[in-house]
Amino acid sequence: MFEVLIDQFWSLTIAGVALGFIYVLVSLGYTMVYGVLRMINFANSEIFMWGTFGTIVTSRDIFGYSQTSAPATGPKLALVLFSQLLMSMAVAGLTAVFVEFVAYRRLRAKGTNRLATLISAIGISIVLSELMRLLTDSRPVGSPRVLEKIILTEVWGANIRLDTVVTIFAAAAIYFLLERFVKLSRMGKAIRAVSMNEDAAKLMGVNLNRVITTTFLVGGLATGAAGFFYITVFEYTKFNIGFTMGMAAFTAAVLGGIGNIRGAFYGGLFLGLLEVYASAVLGTQWKAVTVFIVLVLVLLFKPNGLFGEAVQTTRA
Amino acid sequence: MNKKIQRSLAVVSAAALVFGVAAAQTSANAAPKTVYLAYQGPLSGGEASTGTDEQNAVKYAIKLFNAKNKAKYNVKLVSVDDQGDPAVAGTVAPGIGKNKAILGVVGPAYSGATIASLPFYKAGGLALISPSATRVSLTDPASPDFGGPIFHRVVATDDKQGPALAKWATNGNKAAKVFVFDDQSSYAVPLAGYVTAGLKKVAGASLVGTDSVPNTTTDFAPTIAKIKTSGADVVIYTGYYSQAAVFIKQLRDSGSKAVFAGGDGVFNQEFPKLAGVAAEGSRITGVSGLMDANPKAEAAFKKSMGVSSGVYAVESFDAANIFLEAILKGNTTRAKVLAYVKAYKGTGIGGTTYQFTANGDIKGDGFSGFESVKGVLINKGPVK
Repeated sequence: MFEVLIDQFWSLTIAGVALGFIYVLVSLGYTMVYGVLRMINFANSEIFMWGTFGTIVTSRDIFGYSQTSAPATGPKLALVLFSQLLMSMAVAGLTAVFVEFVAYRRLRAKGTNRLATLISAIGISIVLSELMRLLTDSRPVGSPRVLEKIILTEVWGANIRLDTVVTIFAAAAIYFLLERFVKLSRMGKAIRAVSMNEDAAKLMGVNLNRVITTTFLVGGLATGAAGFFYITVFEYTKFNIGFTMGMAAFTAAVLGGIGNIRGAFYGGLFLGLLEVYASAVLGTQWKAVTVFIVLVLVLLFKPNGLFGEAVQTTRA
Repeated sequence: MNKKIQRSLAVVSAAALVFGVAAAQTSANAAPKTVYLAYQGPLSGGEASTGTDEQNAVKYAIKLFNAKNKAKYNVKLVSVDDQGDPAVAGTVAPGIGKNKAILGVVGPAYSGATIASLPFYKAGGLALISPSATRVSLTDPASPDFGGPIFHRVVATDDKQGPALAKWATNGNKAAKVFVFDDQSSYAVPLAGYVTAGLKKVAGASLVGTDSVPNTTTDFAPTIAKIKTSGADVVIYTGYYSQAAVFIKQLRDSGSKAVFAGGDGVFNQEFPKLAGVAAEGSRITGVSGLMDANPKAEAAFKKSMGVSSGVYAVESFDAANIFLEAILKGNTTRAKVLAYVKAYKGTGIGGTTYQFTANGDIKGDGFSGFESVKGVLINKGPVK
């Protein structure tokens, strides 16, 4: 039962960490919006999906790569990857702001109840995914290979591949940038102020609408970055890819304590590793069962998630 | 939550469709005689590309028929969208079953949706010819899923495909160590079972490992870890092409050189396109498509429909033609159409002889072995 885990431990761990960092970035999209609005942004999964398409369009249509063309090298490689990342973040960020404008802002201004906003978010999520379905004829879209998946070195029998290394380090860097932004910048402080007490923040002269839009934008940017890494590693997307990713990232956010940035970090990594280990030991058919049993157990003992109790001080 | 809303939308649109047909019926008595056939399959949702491809072939057959017989008949197609989902099928089928204007159904495309639809079609005595529902129990009189007397299919079943796939995957390998995995779908799980059973009859082959991954998986690291630990040199996947493409890339990136093989779910020219060079040498079993079966027909199809033919085009086209022949011979009630289909004997566009057994299967079988060469799946002849 454990022979696969023992034999392939480091390969699995590296794969799990890379997947975990993608979860971290997507769950930031959930957790930031929840922190400020106390509402789940159900469209975040589709924001992710649009980001993946932004990545592919950049390499395929702007730089003209195809399934058969050779991977990029040198400065060109850096240029293409960086443009892909920016495009994915821009597409996802703008989609998130659009979602806020359409599904949240007016309803909030009119003081509707929370369920109305929930439904409008689900509605916009369906619109976004069906629109992509029509645009792509329901077909999966493969990404041209820009970054050659060179095996850099072998550590304890595990291949260390370039794309996983890039994903882990770049995703970690983006996470820390965001964390610093929320912690130190003026806007970040305003975001935290709104999340602690909306009315008090308003009385202190915080522009609520601007804070909320920024929160959606920042969450969208993180989710978009995840879309880029996802494409770099898996090279595949489809109009309905957001659903599974959204479920996983939302689970990660709840596991870590939703509304809490650090919670998203640990929750994402924990979930990524748990998924690969559980699949290796019990068989992939047990992956979802294991994940949700663990989630329920965690919530039984820590109802606010692993880092839920730190909410009042670090919430954002 | 998304899915639920999609479902209820499907119900509404199906209802609109059925009422629409009923309304059209009252004013359709003037010559040429208007008759209705239906296509049922996934036309929206995650499996929509299969349904769209099949329906295009049906539309093409009807287009040819109407052009040729416009003085006598005007055949109209009713699209029934079950999303490939049994739950949706159960809500759209009752209306179709009751609407006596519809003489026959090409479909349902998927086995699970077929089982959910059968009670309503049996009650209405509506003949079905599925181009792609391959579950064995559908034509097994001992099974509760048995579709007789109305269900027929022009596709060979998985109990025949499993052994063919096992043989083709291990072809030329005298001591194959095989790893088999599926995508947990009602198509892939039984097929994996038939492959495993088929492997026992291949000399020297042994099963060294299995896995079952959800059909939404994109990270195959755990499965690849298992393949490496098991030392397999042949990997058989019984799911569908889009996942197969994601998997094969990751397998090759991990450094593995094991032979990759898949069944007719992977048999789609999109597979080598999606997977790129990683697909080279993959071995797929399937029934020849329009392109291999009849290149001239493919060219005509593309010209008429504006798109290339897709998966199960041959089967869908042939299934539609069986109904159309029935109509041409003057059979314009459900009972007569059903009797005609049961007694049918003819040749399809790819040269396949169609004749149904009492349980609804075609007599004989024919799986070909395909190999991915330079981005195209090439027919290497029947698997022996």
